[in-house]
Amino acid sequence: MSRLFLALPFLLAAGCGSTGSGLVTFHAAAAGPADAVAGQPLVFAGGKQNAYQVTLTRATLHLGALYLNRSVPSSGSQAQACVLPGIYSGQVTVPLTVDVLSPEPQPFPADGEGTADELKTGEVWLFGSDPFATDDLTVIVDVAGTAVQGSTALPFVGQITIGQNRQVAPSNPALPGTNPLCKQRIVTPVTIDLTLAQGGTLLLRIDARKWFQNVDFAQIPADPAVPGQLKFLDQTVGPADIAFYSGIRGTSPYAFTWQPP
Amino acid sequence: VTKVDAVYPPEALAAGTQADVTLEITVGIDGEVSGEQVVSSGGAAFDAAALVAVRQWVFTPAREGDTPVAVRIRVPFSFRLPARAEPPPFPQSTTEAAVPEPAPQGPPGGPPSPPAGPPLSPPQPASATPEPQRPQASSEEQPLEATVRGRAQPRSRGSADYEVSIGQLSVVPRKAADELLKLAPGILLTNEGGEGHASQIFLRGFDARDGQDVEISVAGVPVNEAGNLHGNGYADLHFVIPEVVSSLRVLEGPFDPRQGNFAVAGSAEYELGLEERGVGLQLGTGSFGTRRLLARWGPPGASKGTFGAAEVYQTDGFGQNRDATRASAIGQYEGRLGADTSARLTLQAYSGRWHSAGVIREDDYAAGRIGFYDTYDTGQGGDATRFSVSGEVESRAGALTLRNQAFGIISTSRLRENFTGFLLDPQEPQQTLHAQRGDLIDRSSSATTVGARGFARTAFEFLGHHEAEVGYLARYDVTDGVQYRIEAANGHPYHVDLDLLSRVADIGVYGDLSLVPLPWLTLRGGVRADLLTYDVVDRCAVQTVAHPSTSNPPGDASCLSLESNGRYREPVQPATAGSSVVQPRLSVLVTPISHLTLSGSYGGGVRSIDPQYVSQDAKTPFASATAAEVGAAYAIDVGALALALRTAGFRTRVDRDLVFSESAGRNTLGGSSTRLGWLVAARATGRSFDESLNATVVKATFDDTGLVIPYVPDLVVRSDTSLWHDLPWSPGGVPISAAAGLGITYVGPRPLPYGERSDRIFTVDASASLARRPFKLALSATNLLDAKYRLGEFNYASDFHSQSSPTLVPTRHFSAGAPRVVMLTFEFLVGGNP
Repeated sequence: MSRLFLALPFLLAAGCGSTGSGLVTFHAAAAGPADAVAGQPLVFAGGKQNAYQVTLTRATLHLGALYLNRSVPSSGSQAQACVLPGIYSGQVTVPLTVDVLSPEPQPFPADGEGTADELKTGEVWLFGSDPFATDDLTVIVDVAGTAVQGSTALPFVGQITIGQNRQVAPSNPALPGTNPLCKQRIVTPVTIDLTLAQGGTLLLRIDARKWFQNVDFAQIPADPAVPGQLKFLDQTVGPADIAFYSGIRGTSPYAFTWQPP
Repeated sequence: VTKVDAVYPPEALAAGTQADVTLEITVGIDGEVSGEQVVSSGGAAFDAAALVAVRQWVFTPAREGDTPVAVRIRVPFSFRLPARAEPPPFPQSTTEAAVPEPAPQGPPGGPPSPPAGPPLSPPQPASATPEPQRPQASSEEQPLEATVRGRAQPRSRGSADYEVSIGQLSVVPRKAADELLKLAPGILLTNEGGEGHASQIFLRGFDARDGQDVEISVAGVPVNEAGNLHGNGYADLHFVIPEVVSSLRVLEGPFDPRQGNFAVAGSAEYELGLEERGVGLQLGTGSFGTRRLLARWGPPGASKGTFGAAEVYQTDGFGQNRDATRASAIGQYEGRLGADTSARLTLQAYSGRWHSAGVIREDDYAAGRIGFYDTYDTGQGGDATRFSVSGEVESRAGALTLRNQAFGIISTSRLRENFTGFLLDPQEPQQTLHAQRGDLIDRSSSATTVGARGFARTAFEFLGHHEAEVGYLARYDVTDGVQYRIEAANGHPYHVDLDLLSRVADIGVYGDLSLVPLPWLTLRGGVRADLLTYDVVDRCAVQTVAHPSTSNPPGDASCLSLESNGRYREPVQPATAGSSVVQPRLSVLVTPISHLTLSGSYGGGVRSIDPQYVSQDAKTPFASATAAEVGAAYAIDVGALALALRTAGFRTRVDRDLVFSESAGRNTLGGSSTRLGWLVAARATGRSFDESLNATVVKATFDDTGLVIPYVPDLVVRSDTSLWHDLPWSPGGVPISAAAGLGITYVGPRPLPYGERSDRIFTVDASASLARRPFKLALSATNLLDAKYRLGEFNYASDFHSQSSPTLVPTRHFSAGAPRVVMLTFEFLVGGNP
């Protein structure tokens, strides 16, 4: 009882308690690598075994959304569903087509939102209008450039979509839901370690050089419309197409940084 | 002992007018009259004459057993001109079961009772009739004798114990009977489930959700449903017709040994009665296509406990998908089976269905993607039925009072709610490829409850006058429940979340003493023991398999007969558990000076856990609470003014709290928590007004983190005001009575998850009425100021497909409070006087 009386004055502070954490909104932007030069092609040694000198003259990426979650990345995450309710604490849900040749941050049209929790995993969602659509003709990646090996120049282009052309049949017919198409549209887990705060800025840097890390440009099929030009097939078939698509969907080209307010 | 006749007002005598006046008075233990109030006015002159007379009366005090007790009785006066046939000049005045059993001798408990019954009561049958031609006649012919016949009442537990007489405050607009709870301090009601869904109750820092932490009974029949899938202890009060609620006892804390399962935050006991006699029909119509037809009847000469009432209600609702309809009937007979035995039979039937709008995302509303009163999912709503019968016999043999009651209830409920949109349907490998199919929860429960309760109370002398009581409650609940997830595209169930058959038995025994060792000291308390047993069959026990067979995959089925690697098992899982709990409950009441009572209370309460959490031989299948309170109450009658003030500080700790889960659409078990709070309350009742005001501040925190419990309001303020008076016109000799009511609610910003605070709530409800019996016309408005307010606010993740990309992070949601709703009601009441 005495504790009760002693505590009464503190009740005046009843309206001051907190449930913890906090809802926040933040700015979001995406950009190419920091060492790129605005308005200039991206020149790098790349391709399979870095055998090519690549000059990338056009490279855009269409981002459908970004999500940040509290779960720790693990190798088993690929077996999980596209969405795991309850783990997400940050999101940017407006699309943005990024010129990844530019190092300048290109802001998303609207702010992101989330909670002031410690975040461990970033997800880059690559889709047009609906990540769960059974098909999607939106061009996610659009690239053009030239790869030079020795004295051979290989001009190339590529436009990548993620629709039925990327559907992976289940390896086990008894598990028909193993490979939903939405998983093709999600790049995860991108390791992060940040805590969102009101008014800060989330920056996603995309290093297009890593898209081509395992691409043997010589194996890119010829472009039937432009003689002398190569063109990535918008299918997961040939070795160069597979390597390029895998590069886009790998996590290494993507890095999140957080700038406090 | 002394009776002075009323003097016929000379001006009325000259004018040839007659009148009936009914007074309510308190006869103290010394026989003196106090607290006189005009219950039914005959006009200012007649009222004054009656009051002058009755203040000079002296009674032989009433006795309960051998103990003189204060009683509140009604005294009718009938002023009749000598030319007319007159009743005997000094007849006997008898008050039969129209007043509650008197409070025991000892410190005052609850606030004073206002005049019972609506303010526009017709005159009571005359039985005390001063002879106008012999105004000074003595009382030698017959003594005035008040026979008090009532039901034994529980004894006050101090400042936490609110015996609320509805009385004149019935004129304050209330949509349903559960809103009467707001007459007790610190109670907030919200509802995002629609009309027909049980209200969410916040009490003293508890989010009791749909009643899980408040033990509720109506006429002694339990309301909480043990095993309802929507929430264990779900308590829907829509079956109660507000007009037949005569009183309400709210005990905020587990301090009375009579309190059983679910009395963690406290308990609420509704008593039924109909003050006005006769046959009445009430027709109401109002905003949003709202219509209500109420029929009620009370045989003249019978107690207020004998009545019948039935209503049909219908509304189109104030926004999208908010229509509702319901019908309810309640009949009760209260009578005598001999000189010392009374009986009560209560029958009740209710059926209702409704739609609900659910929640709205704040960002969608701000962006204009959805309206404030709109809905995302028109599949939300519900259906409910409840039928019950109760029989009760109470007898007295000398100082011993015995009561036994048996009851049976059958009820069904189906609730459909969607808090999250399209979020909770992840693609499982064994399932056919699918998109998010929708999170609409379709939850049905069918329950049968039988039970009995009773007690024996006696008085004894040992260094003072004391009482002892022993009693029991036994109930058995069989609940068959299932919960589906519904596909938005076609309304088909695509997943079974729960399929549960539960049988819960609860037998409680208590002993209670009321000791008065000193005139200024009362000790009340005892011990209660409960045995709770569970017999649960989970018919959908296996829903996922860690390593499914590739040759015999589970596919899309919800309830699986597989274990890892394809081993067969039945999808069911029986579980039985049981445990007993013994809890002390004690109250100390000290009266250092007249009218002032200081009190302290301590006690423990339990809530049976949700049957879905019962595992085989679970050791403690209940949550326990311990509560302590200290307070002070001051009650005094000053002339015609009855004033009651009280204040209290309280602390309650629960070992397993309930925390709202939007994904489950219900409260789920959480950790331990503590509440610390303070309240003030006042009630003032005069001849023409009644005011009830209360405020509660509380801080509720989780014990492990110290963080504030979300959704629980820190500050709740409520005011109920009623005014009534006769107008100076009496067409046809019948006075026109006017009444007005005002209800004001203020709720401070509530803590929300993620460090947020909700908006404040400030609403005003008002009513006004005119009555010239047999007619009455009333106009009422809830949310008179038409405030656009958020009744419930929540922070969590949802995806209602309102934006192009999935929305996966927590954000603000709200359920809209009702806009201004105006109702016009016409009432016709006849046959009230023999």
